[in-house]
Amino acid sequence: MAEASTAPRARHGSGLNLRLWLPLSWVTLLVVVAVFARWIAPHDPLAQDLLLERLPPFFMSGSEPGYWLGTDSLGRDVLSRMIYGAQIALFVSVIAASATCVFGSVLGMLAGYYGGWAERIISRLVDIWMAFPPVLFAVLLVAVMGTGLTSVIAAIALIDWTRFARVVRAETLVQTRMDYVDSARIGGARRASTLWTEILPNVLPTIIALLMLEMGIAIIVEAILSFVNLSISTDDPTWGSMIAEGRNAIHFAWWVLLFPLIALFFSVLSFSVLGEGLRQRFDPVLQ
Amino acid sequence: MTATPFFSVRNLHLSFADRAHKPLFGPAPRIEVLKGLDLDIGEGRITGIVGESGSGKSTLGRVLVRLLDPDSGNVMFKGQDIAGLDEEALRPLRRDLQMIFQDPMSSLNPRHKVWRIIAQPMKRYGLGGTREQATEALVRVGLPAEFGDRFPHQLSGGQRQRVGIARAIAVGPSFILADEIVSGLDVSSQAHVLMLLSKLAKEMGLTVAFISHDLSVIRHLCDDVIVLDHGVIVDNGPVEQVFDDPQSDVTRKLLAAIPLPEMDDTWFER
Amino acid sequence: MTRTVLDIMNLTVNLPNRTRILRDVSLSLEPGEVRALVGESGAGKSMIGKAVLGILPPKVRISEGEILLDNEHLGAMTPVTRRNTVARMSALIPQDPLTALNPLRKIGPQIVDPLRRIHGWSADKARARALELLDRVHIRAPERVMASYPHELSGGMRQRILIAAAFAPSPRLIVADEPTTALDVTVQKEILKLIRELQRETGTAVLFVTHDMGVVAKISQKVTVLFAGKVMEDAPTEQVFSGAAHPYTRALINATPSSADPSRSFTPVPAQLVADLHREIAQDDHLYMTVTS
Repeated sequence: MAEASTAPRARHGSGLNLRLWLPLSWVTLLVVVAVFARWIAPHDPLAQDLLLERLPPFFMSGSEPGYWLGTDSLGRDVLSRMIYGAQIALFVSVIAASATCVFGSVLGMLAGYYGGWAERIISRLVDIWMAFPPVLFAVLLVAVMGTGLTSVIAAIALIDWTRFARVVRAETLVQTRMDYVDSARIGGARRASTLWTEILPNVLPTIIALLMLEMGIAIIVEAILSFVNLSISTDDPTWGSMIAEGRNAIHFAWWVLLFPLIALFFSVLSFSVLGEGLRQRFDPVLQ
Repeated sequence: MTATPFFSVRNLHLSFADRAHKPLFGPAPRIEVLKGLDLDIGEGRITGIVGESGSGKSTLGRVLVRLLDPDSGNVMFKGQDIAGLDEEALRPLRRDLQMIFQDPMSSLNPRHKVWRIIAQPMKRYGLGGTREQATEALVRVGLPAEFGDRFPHQLSGGQRQRVGIARAIAVGPSFILADEIVSGLDVSSQAHVLMLLSKLAKEMGLTVAFISHDLSVIRHLCDDVIVLDHGVIVDNGPVEQVFDDPQSDVTRKLLAAIPLPEMDDTWFER
Repeated sequence: MTRTVLDIMNLTVNLPNRTRILRDVSLSLEPGEVRALVGESGAGKSMIGKAVLGILPPKVRISEGEILLDNEHLGAMTPVTRRNTVARMSALIPQDPLTALNPLRKIGPQIVDPLRRIHGWSADKARARALELLDRVHIRAPERVMASYPHELSGGMRQRILIAAAFAPSPRLIVADEPTTALDVTVQKEILKLIRELQRETGTAVLFVTHDMGVVAKISQKVTVLFAGKVMEDAPTEQVFSGAAHPYTRALINATPSSADPSRSFTPVPAQLVADLHREIAQDDHLYMTVTS
């Protein structure tokens, strides 16, 4: 009916675009900064200078030109450390989230599509997995595997694949009952290929939204692990380790803590908003 | 009619697991949907399958095109039992057993253009699947050739259903299952689609199973009719015979409930 | 002058871009009368009922015309008075019995609460009336049904409950918005019969929205035929089916399968006729845009 078709279109106003563009700009900024860190960062993130310790940011008195966001207790430039931190944050979030996504989604789709034994085994596995407290599990894993980026990424993938498996299974189950799946089989498609050619494109919007969310989560998990000193070496500038260090000096050098925290906050927020926006973009039903 | 009927179904049983009443341990109870059906479908005839919701008419249809596996019984298609065939053994038969769906919006891939929707099955069955062949099928169902470049959501309900018909006939089947294909359409396009289906069936010598809840539509379109009630056949035969002399109360009740477009003061009392 | 329950005069309903959903619609309903509003999807038939009940979708506005409920101008009232008046005097039987009831609440309160809230009845009186009406729509164990949740009942049963709820406060007007479209034919007949019986007993006027000329013939005394938001014909039902009718009405009747003569009486709506009607409306629209801009 004419009246029904007009309602959803009205939602595609500038409001939604702004909601998509703001997080997109932040993520783009993050990527650019991460890629060109070497040229953008004003200082060496590891260079210590005890003469310049705990310089305040540029808008406060006592600041030093060139150290825009001040320095930490070892005299390292906060801005430069944040820029290099973005590199690690992005790297971890992209690799870890993608690995989690592929692993969890494939299992979820198999369970939802084939049902029967595949479904029972995967669902039980998910149940058992989710009974572990995630952060403890991650800490334990890294403690066993040793610190380092690989362990952090592996830990994230091993903890969070269940999120994908659960949601993707439910969505696949819904899609499997749709007529277009039967119509593909009537049209000569093999059962297995129907899953990848017909169902996957329809589950994809959900997967993309989850992937974006997971990238945000990966940043947080990496920060948590850094915070408890289980990520990469303490010297390397990560947002988590900066927050951990800043915590000790919160009363007289709050900027060491606050700026990485803000970056973390905006990144996580951007990824989850972006995920929802992209889902709407990709979903023909919502358009 | 030939000596071996086109479709010959014997003692067909089918049940679903009732997950709503599954006990904590052990298997879910089964709900019997088809309770031992015997029926024949004659070659080149349009057979109506009618019943209320829950009668099992759609389930029966989906067994005929083997989207569902029966629990037991035989489904003889041109003399071959297709009831127990696995996916691989079925593949050569699938081209012959086509289906038109109730809701064209959910059975046509929204991301593909119309011509690809029609061409894809042809390609899969090794029948070419070129743009020209798709256009030919489009014209055959009375749609302009340039509709090939549109997406399903750019068509009206009746036009979409024509695309569904075009996709089914394009692979040259001998049987088409039409599952409530006009129930979502406006009356004006309803008649168009039904006339098209009956014209194509005649031209191509198709055998059609037409599932509907609407007896008056069946009377206009079909040669034979099967009336189902709770998984049991309660009436079966040529339409004139079943409509003029129904054998069961279910059929009589269904007939009396049709609101015909004419003034009739006694309708409510019947 | 006869006292009308509902009077719609020159009603025009617009989208924000001034696309008209209803075009200068007029109709009236007398007490005890059933008027069918018939048309194909997009004809705006449901919009009329929604405009009367004040439940138009967001951004859809009444741009011209008057609606009189029991000879009172709804347009002249404050929004609060209007809402109260409409709630007091009219009721809706919705299309989809599966979604019209709140799945988390028992049936009883869903019937009783509006009676208490809108009509100010005591709990006992409302409950007694609900039981009476459930019994009246042939529900065997009304007490038990009142204590059940919607999902425990069949679609036909839920539609009967909604009919009982609509008739319970003895409204002057009931808008029935395709109340049988989702139901099997045999259940449809039961429901139509119930609506007719109750409506005759209580003298409630019914605005019956449908797309089915067969249902029109059975339930209504008057018909309004709509095409693209415009009234094609307004006539007594008997007259419409005995021959003298607008070509579009005739086409709708002919497109509905009938038993009398299978070969003749089932023909599509001629494409030429639809094209002509659309052209007429397009000219009309052009004029409207010119005049109002």
